Amino acid sequence: MSARTGSAPTISGSGLAPRRKRKRDAGIYYAMGLPAALIFAIFYFGPFILNLRYSLVKWDGITDSEFVGLGNFIKLVSDDDLFYKVLGNNLRFTFLVVIFQTLLSLVFAIFLVKNTKTNIALRTLYFFPTILSSVSVGIIWLFLYDPNFGAINLFFNKVGLESFALNWVGSEGSALNAIAFTQVWFHTGQMMVIYIAGLQQIPQELYEAAEVDGASKWQQFRFVTWPMAIPTTIVVMAYTTIQSFRAFDLIFTMTQGGPNNASSIFAVLIYQTVFSELRIGYAAAQSIFFVLVLVFVTVLQRRFLNTRYEK
Amino acid sequence: MVIALLFAISASVVPISQSLAAGERLGATCTTEGVFTGTKSTSLVCTKVGNRLAWQRVKLSSGGGVPVKNLTPPPGEIEFWHYRPEPGDQRAFVKIIADFEAKYPGTKIKQVFTDTTTFNNTARVRILQNPKAALIATSRGAIFNQYVTADMFADLSNQRYVKQNLIAKGLRAGQVDGKQVGIPYQYLFNNPIVNTELWKKEGWKEPKNLSGWVAWCKDAKAKGYTPLAWPGATLGQAAQISNSALMNSAGSYDELAKNLADLNTGKIDLTSTWFKGVADIYVKLRDAGCFPENATGVNEAAAYNLFATGKSPILPIGSFAMTSIVTLNPAMSGKMQLMSMILTDGKVVAEGIMNNTFILSVNKNSTSRDQKIANAFLSYLVTGPVAQIYANESIQHVNVLDVEYTNVNLLNTSSFQAKDTMLAPRFLLLNSSVSDLTQQALIAIVGGKSPDDVLPDFSKQIKQKLS
Repeated sequence: MSARTGSAPTISGSGLAPRRKRKRDAGIYYAMGLPAALIFAIFYFGPFILNLRYSLVKWDGITDSEFVGLGNFIKLVSDDDLFYKVLGNNLRFTFLVVIFQTLLSLVFAIFLVKNTKTNIALRTLYFFPTILSSVSVGIIWLFLYDPNFGAINLFFNKVGLESFALNWVGSEGSALNAIAFTQVWFHTGQMMVIYIAGLQQIPQELYEAAEVDGASKWQQFRFVTWPMAIPTTIVVMAYTTIQSFRAFDLIFTMTQGGPNNASSIFAVLIYQTVFSELRIGYAAAQSIFFVLVLVFVTVLQRRFLNTRYEK
Repeated sequence: MVIALLFAISASVVPISQSLAAGERLGATCTTEGVFTGTKSTSLVCTKVGNRLAWQRVKLSSGGGVPVKNLTPPPGEIEFWHYRPEPGDQRAFVKIIADFEAKYPGTKIKQVFTDTTTFNNTARVRILQNPKAALIATSRGAIFNQYVTADMFADLSNQRYVKQNLIAKGLRAGQVDGKQVGIPYQYLFNNPIVNTELWKKEGWKEPKNLSGWVAWCKDAKAKGYTPLAWPGATLGQAAQISNSALMNSAGSYDELAKNLADLNTGKIDLTSTWFKGVADIYVKLRDAGCFPENATGVNEAAAYNLFATGKSPILPIGSFAMTSIVTLNPAMSGKMQLMSMILTDGKVVAEGIMNNTFILSVNKNSTSRDQKIANAFLSYLVTGPVAQIYANESIQHVNVLDVEYTNVNLLNTSSFQAKDTMLAPRFLLLNSSVSDLTQQALIAIVGGKSPDDVLPDFSKQIKQKLS
């Protein structure tokens, strides 16, 4: 293949001229990648290195910093109950959101996969919360969750289910779950659209063949829809995981992490450590753990789903 | 005696033959001791004359002499950074700035403002990069302290307007090491607001001590009210009542200040005898049914709603909440007063809380010319007629002399001037982690937990934050 057609510089040539050409082409290829590399270096790699540096100091952002080596990390893992509480909250929140959001969006997608007028209208309706701002969603749900005036408790009291009328976001036991429910409500429509796009790619012939073989609806789902939907599920779950780790705005609007940090996740903890407590170095160490946990969870997920996919 | 009535500034009540305030008659009977119409020398105050109450004219005399006119600014433009986006404040500032710019063509003041949370979290860093931000407002406590630590404020100690235009006691919140680096503009009262109509209807009398409050809560609850519209889900406002709980928790203000300073640095923790006493006040109020049902889930908006709709006779937040209440229910205008909340059966150190905040400072990193503009505009803000515009539009009492209050809610709550007030003690916790965790512990107690469980748990959290 000639260089004119864009061949890779790894193909060997015999003469000096082609070698020069390959060198020149390689330069062009590297130059083409340069803008992306620069953007990555400036906006990702640079701050990452800076964050690493901050994690080694004790600094309030005002006075001079003090080098503490790995002190921040050691304190984080050995003498910070709040860190473990937040870690537990974050994993629980992510688990709840990923499971319910994925399940619900898949169910909605299965029912609304056909392009009928009613289905398109319903898809629009379910997608609607996604276009709202997180702050608006948080405030709306705060009103709904209000223990004394909120529609949810008024409903339960009206139908005689007083024991279901909880202090939703004011109690340590229910605050995180209540916010997780809001998060699921907020983003299920978005994931449903992704699923619908995936389900519409499944060849109709497979369902026809399954019907001919006498497969029930459940069997069709189990042996056709689900295996074919796994690639979409990988995308949905990975995206939902990242989204749930970043649910800062919703939590901050609804509870600011309270009561007693019962609804705090890493993003909220880091924010408070930086802006409220002015412990920049410690927050840097927290953020490194945050990334490690996120990577760990995502890798686990991908491994689990990829294994299923390969089967 | 009258000194204590009027912001505890040096003042004297002297009947003099000048024109009276509208609707008031010198020497005529009045009903509430301490009610006053402003801080002008022509204002009236309701005070005891012999055995009866009567309107007397007040003549204020600040330590530094009579109030002075504002300084003249050089031409140029500066930014005024603050955290008051509320409509009333905006109406006032837009008018005040327009008047100032009209008076001094070539001088421009640009407002840069956000909500309080955003301002507290981001403004300092942004101002450090922006010397045009020559006039800065900060709130008392941890935020003001951060700017002081960053050495961002110019010394205003020698300005004549500081000595002569402001209420001396109200300046303390802007002083650091004997220097006046900020001018507290607002004079707030972080005490319960009462619905006077409900109190009259039910024939309640003001509780005089903790036992009285416990008894009143039981009675109000029995009559179907939520005694205190307390927003347990909004930390900052839930914390206001802690001022009243702290106020008489120690033998003196100095002792209280020392306890809070020790808590702030970790010398003592929440399991100390003193703080257990504070927690016990919350337990007594909780057990008497003072707080709303599911109190820890009631946010600020819901609490305002409880009070504005007459479901609750008391909003334990502060005078600054009156604007929101009137917005929710205009019929509440003129029906609100402040009340002392003495939560002790022992020695009374103070009868109420006041707070001087919205502290205005000149950025020492600005150019000399911009500092002059900021200083001149600040001196303009603290002249009586200008501060009067701000006070009556924003419905906030101000820390400025020669102000005539015309807003009915400011006049009605001015009776609180008669009290022996204490500078809000909760802001003495300058470490925000300690402050927040302390408040969270008290909220958890209201939520039903035992102090025996809560106090050691939160003490441990504080210790970990401080180490």
